[in-house]
Amino acid sequence: MAAEQLLLTGLMGVLLVAVVALLTRVEDWRSYTPLAGGGGYGGEATHAHEEKPGGLVRWLTTVDHKDIGMLYGLYAIIAFAVGGLMAVGIRFQLITPEGALFGNQFYNAILTSHGITMLFLFGTPIIAAFANYFVPLLIGADDMAFPRINAIAFWLLPFGAILIWGGFFLEPVTGGTIQAAQTSWTMYTPLSVEQVNPGVDLMLLGLHLTGVSATMGAINFIATIFTERGDDVNWANLDIFSWTILTQSGLILFSFPLLGSALVMLLMDRNLGTTFFAAEGGGAMLWQHLFWFFGHPEVYILVLPPMGLVSLILPKFSGRKLFGFKFVVYSTLAIGVLSFGVWAHHMFSTGMDPRLQASFMAVSLAIAVPSAVKTFNWITTMWNGSLRLTTPMLFCIGFVSNFIIGGITGVFLASVPVDLVLHDTYYVVGHFHYIVMGAIGFAVFAGLYYWFPIFTGRMYQKRLGKWHFWLSMIGTNVTFFALLLLGYLGMPRRYATYEFGPGVAPLNLVELSHQAASVGAFILLVGQLIFVYNLVVSWLEGPEVDEGDPWDLEETGQKTKEFVWHEDKISTALTDGGDEEIATDGGEKATATDDEDEDVMTDGGNAESAADSE
Amino acid sequence: MAETEKVFDRETLLDLTVNVIPLGILTIFFAAYIVFNPFGFDSVISGVQLAIIGTSAVLLAILTYYSGAAVSRAENRQEALEEKEAAELEAEDAAAEDATEADDDTAEA
Ligand code: HEM
Ligand SMILES: [Cu+2]
Repeated sequence: MAAEQLLLTGLMGVLLVAVVALLTRVEDWRSYTPLAGGGGYGGEATHAHEEKPGGLVRWLTTVDHKDIGMLYGLYAIIAFAVGGLMAVGIRFQLITPEGALFGNQFYNAILTSHGITMLFLFGTPIIAAFANYFVPLLIGADDMAFPRINAIAFWLLPFGAILIWGGFFLEPVTGGTIQAAQTSWTMYTPLSVEQVNPGVDLMLLGLHLTGVSATMGAINFIATIFTERGDDVNWANLDIFSWTILTQSGLILFSFPLLGSALVMLLMDRNLGTTFFAAEGGGAMLWQHLFWFFGHPEVYILVLPPMGLVSLILPKFSGRKLFGFKFVVYSTLAIGVLSFGVWAHHMFSTGMDPRLQASFMAVSLAIAVPSAVKTFNWITTMWNGSLRLTTPMLFCIGFVSNFIIGGITGVFLASVPVDLVLHDTYYVVGHFHYIVMGAIGFAVFAGLYYWFPIFTGRMYQKRLGKWHFWLSMIGTNVTFFALLLLGYLGMPRRYATYEFGPGVAPLNLVELSHQAASVGAFILLVGQLIFVYNLVVSWLEGPEVDEGDPWDLEETGQKTKEFVWHEDKISTALTDGGDEEIATDGGEKATATDDEDEDVMTDGGNAESAADSE
Repeated sequence: MAETEKVFDRETLLDLTVNVIPLGILTIFFAAYIVFNPFGFDSVISGVQLAIIGTSAVLLAILTYYSGAAVSRAENRQEALEEKEAAELEAEDAAAEDATEADDDTAEA
């Protein structure tokens, strides 16, 4: 018996080694090759003196910030797909009042997982993807300050995801003993303490891992931006995206460790009989305070870098520099500080002392100012500019538009009397989805399209890009405007069905609005399918970009360091004559393929409006 | 001191107004909650009430001060550097001109 098992183990070992050996032979994944070797060390992956190993091992062992950025990006996009399909499930369920798809428990599990997936497995990682790839390029650093910590931070994430989603896989295997967590993303006690399901513990551990990952990443970015800047980069000319990453990292540093501690306390309450959040101990409100002291900064952790992306990209297609650059910088910092003084606006209806409510209302109203300042800066930048409506620009404009609706609904919620009416209705869901999807999602798309030529060496299909934009814009507004309406109608959030008595809400209208939201979600889904198709197909066989300035930034004096780097990379590859990939792939010289760029050539920016100082 | 005067010049102060607005809002609420107090005074609750607004305002002021100073100093340094480079360039040009003139002279001679 024992011998048999030993043999089996040995066999498995041999098999594993064989698989690894095989994988190391899988030379260059074609899609990734434009990155091979980073700067100018040629792309001949087979040579003995190559710096990085080939095949999959390269991706498992890499400490190069660009590679890690790609890993984060891949991870985040997978999470976005998972979370998005969950959202589609939710919207499908709510087409009929009695629920069209799931039982109540599974609905709760999907709802919980959707929120956590989108915020922690998509939102934070996709920002880390951009930051890893581009911050070192933008500030003229060779790499991150701590490349290995960078790699560790990433590799914690897949395990986090496995734990967070673990309940779904284990439910069928364990006959339902372990289920997916049904705590909602806020994990409010006492519910989250009393649910005996071990799936909740798995999720808490997974969340803890992602928190550790985010904290390591944040420390790394702070160190990098402070100490690794190139000689010519200083606080006066640091680009706006790096500023927002710096602020965001500060927020992470002060808030995620708190989440970690709160999660450990919750785990102990669940498993070791402590009473941190029990009525006879700290009480349920303690959890809410701890959670939201993390939770509100978290929403700004998610929105600041996207604001930075828009501030960076939008001027490039407006033909002039960002209006009031310094205003944007200082208001970013202001948001960073103030976001720690507003947490209890999520708790107005808990019976907190009205004097405290008044304070949190005051700070919440004050934090709206810097957000509004940025909005005015974006609008002023576009005002009378020579706009080029490329795909990234469309997404930037969509961002501004959606952010206005999301922000203003937030200001209403910050007012105590209004919040007491709207709290825990779909209005809140509408508010934050305008921001998390309409703004953050859109900025992410803008960034992906804008830098597509850099990280793939190719150009996407611009028509599909525009389809993606319009379907996303229409879908977002149909869906989330319907949610705002539902909130006004009194529809409470987090319900798997809505067969209430007519005293609760006017049922016909509620049903209609839910159906409208579901139609919007379907439009969104189609848009995202187009996006994924475009991403994959253009990456594999899009026209190669062989010029360093695919967006004609030079004309308006806005060519930033990452495109200079990109140009260097292309020209060294060409002068070496050695970059196998560019030469063999498709065979033809680059000029033949490149005139399918965005409509940059025709519109050509005008240089006159380029302002002086950044 | 001359140093601080230069750091917070007019332009920097103008840039910082953007954070003065939320600071102003916080200050107004702070004062208003002292003056209008329909829920009565309680040393703990009212203390926390004012501390939430006060701490936010103070931290915002501190961060604004230091970031403004850092940016402004970097700017001054950059300007100084650019001036120096420009001056050097000019000097080089002048030297080169002198040299060519001298060449011309000798050639003529
Ligand atoms: C303009 C500034 C903003 C203000 C004044 C504001 C205000 C509020 C308030 C008062 C609530 C609580 C509503 C309730 O539960 O009754 C809320 C909820 C929420 N806000 Fe905002 N918000 C702002 C911006 C943002 C941003 C930028 C984001 C995202 C990046 C965001 C994400 C959220 C989320 C996720 C929730 C719901 C949390 C939950 O209960 O699940 N908000 N907001
Ligand atoms: Cu909040």
